[in-house]
Amino acid sequence: MPFASELEAYRRDERLGHKLMTPEERLRLIRPYLPSPPSRSRSRSRTEKGTSKTQNEQKARLGVRRFLRRQYHVLVFTLIHVFFSLYIRIRQAYHAVANRIHLVYYHHHRTPELIRRDVKGLRRLPKHLSVILTLEDQRRSGAGLEKLINEVTNVAAWCASAGIPQLSIYEKTGILKGYLKDTHQAISQEMHAYFGPNHPTVSLGAPHIPPLESDALFDGRDHHGSGSSSDEDEEPRKHISIVLISAEDGRDSMVDLTKTLAEMSQRKKLNPADITPELVDAELTESVMSEPDLLILFSPHVELAGYPPWQIRLTEIFHVRDNQGVGYQVFYKGLRNFAEAQMRKGR
Amino acid sequence: MSDLYLSRIRSWFMSSPPAEWALNRLRSTLIGALSQGPIPQHVAFEMDGNRRYARSHKIETIEGHHLGFEALARVLEVCYKCGVKVVTVYAFSLENFHRPKYEVDGLMQLAKLKLEQLIQHGELLDRYGARVKVLGRLDLIPPDVLEVVERAAATTKNNTDCVLNICFPYTSREEMTTAIRTTVREYSTTPRPHSTPFSQSRITQKILSKQAGKPDPLEPIRESPSPTPSSTQSDDQDDAVSTATTLHSDSTAVKSGGDEETVAIYPNAETITPETIDSHMYTAGCPPLDIFVRTSGVERLSDFMLWQCHQNTDIFFLKCFWPEFDLWSFLPVLVEWQWRQKQKARDERPRRRVKEA
Repeated sequence: MPFASELEAYRRDERLGHKLMTPEERLRLIRPYLPSPPSRSRSRSRTEKGTSKTQNEQKARLGVRRFLRRQYHVLVFTLIHVFFSLYIRIRQAYHAVANRIHLVYYHHHRTPELIRRDVKGLRRLPKHLSVILTLEDQRRSGAGLEKLINEVTNVAAWCASAGIPQLSIYEKTGILKGYLKDTHQAISQEMHAYFGPNHPTVSLGAPHIPPLESDALFDGRDHHGSGSSSDEDEEPRKHISIVLISAEDGRDSMVDLTKTLAEMSQRKKLNPADITPELVDAELTESVMSEPDLLILFSPHVELAGYPPWQIRLTEIFHVRDNQGVGYQVFYKGLRNFAEAQMRKGR
Repeated sequence: MSDLYLSRIRSWFMSSPPAEWALNRLRSTLIGALSQGPIPQHVAFEMDGNRRYARSHKIETIEGHHLGFEALARVLEVCYKCGVKVVTVYAFSLENFHRPKYEVDGLMQLAKLKLEQLIQHGELLDRYGARVKVLGRLDLIPPDVLEVVERAAATTKNNTDCVLNICFPYTSREEMTTAIRTTVREYSTTPRPHSTPFSQSRITQKILSKQAGKPDPLEPIRESPSPTPSSTQSDDQDDAVSTATTLHSDSTAVKSGGDEETVAIYPNAETITPETIDSHMYTAGCPPLDIFVRTSGVERLSDFMLWQCHQNTDIFFLKCFWPEFDLWSFLPVLVEWQWRQKQKARDERPRRRVKEA
């Protein structure tokens, strides 16, 4: 951090297009802030060269000085982290309490009307919402899986209530893709619980797996005799399409695309110069998913954990600091935040 | 009114020599202290908010960019003194070409001026051992600026301690496309045939004569294709044909090595991995991205470091505008990151113990 007088000199010089000072003068201005020459730059103590001591003095007492300085820095470091731990614990506790309060305050009571009322005042809604869920407890996958499916059904029901037509759910391991039918059934049941018999239709798919439509499944359910939901109503039903994605749809799908392109190029069916962002975008949109408008994280901090890189370009990323678990209040805040954010796109 | 006086008095006090001296001591102490802990290897900054800062302070837009450059210099000082190896900054997006012309020109001139100075003070970067790399569509830079850019890269190319990546006309999608394109090019050029003393045709003939009585050994290969999962879905008809032809061309390459020397033998496209593409990114050779910082409260990646942010990057969205960014805004980020690293290490340890038991 330069002294104010020097900063002033620098700015005056800059305003005149750097014609005021000669290079030597400028160099004199910055010299005190430089670290030591590279010969000794390996040492940690190089940060301490802000002062105007001469080189000789420093060489003489370097050993002791460096040792003491190091101890001093370790001490400060420890202090910083002690205080920070304290601070973050308090912050986490505070946020946990605030979250609880919001959870109660914004509770939806499984009624779509309440959610719709919440959403009504928002200026815009995402057309394509994405969420990241995590599979906890990887060793005993039974309990973790059940929790995950439960979260999926919740989010799907909230989206349907809010009127968001497209939802993509990212879960790193992709375990849900193996339980597509069970998940679909669980979602349909949840929809039933929210909306009653005239609930929105759900299509649940994954990249490279044909989507399961609601009606197809209902036929299956009718065989079991568990539901009579094939009633045709006067009001057109809403529809929500859900895509399950996982880590393999991220970088790996781009690698697969590259393989295909390389093979085509090897057979002279494609000129590498024809590979444009538009082409890649079209292919990835087709085979994985389109770019989501909003990504809601339920994790305590922002980490993408392998989320498809191509699709996340202009996606609004929302998270609640120190949040734990999937809650409606996070979902609602995310939507509210999205409505308030504005797109500028570099212009 | 009193607010104005207060801020005057504060700035007068802060710029008084003893206060400044104390502040500087504090800064260097903090930097020294932080470098005792784990240090991120690669940090990326999306320098957002120069224009909004200028607007809110009622100064010219380009003035805001100049202040932004000062902030960058401060941050670089902090980073390199802490021991960060690679710093990547988003200086100019391809989308920025849509901005008013005078602003684009102003930014170009700013870049030219600063890089020129950087070259003049070659010693400055040598002290840090810093190397400047400009990433992006260099062909879109005006020629006079490009010349300086190249000179800057050339004068610092021998420094190895740390790297400053300036993403100049850059978007991440463009970067990924370029990486894909270069990978495809690499895989569709034939490597030079090795000159070996063994004749391929002789070997083939020998094998053929041995297998003369057996059925065509190539048949089973055709039945076990391993097409990429994406290709089967995306455009099935074309690919049904193409996979068949791939296998065919593969098999002909195997079979006809003797009678047709001109058959091009390409590296197998199936050996492409994320690392292959990684090595064709502009950031090839850089350590994985540890921290991504975006200022001005916008919570988007906006086409910057999409590929790199992918796995274990901690992404921080800060409220302050970029020209206000300083050690004081970066410190919490760094400390929180260090704290999380420790937390992660603590989480890993018991798990490993369980595994061992």
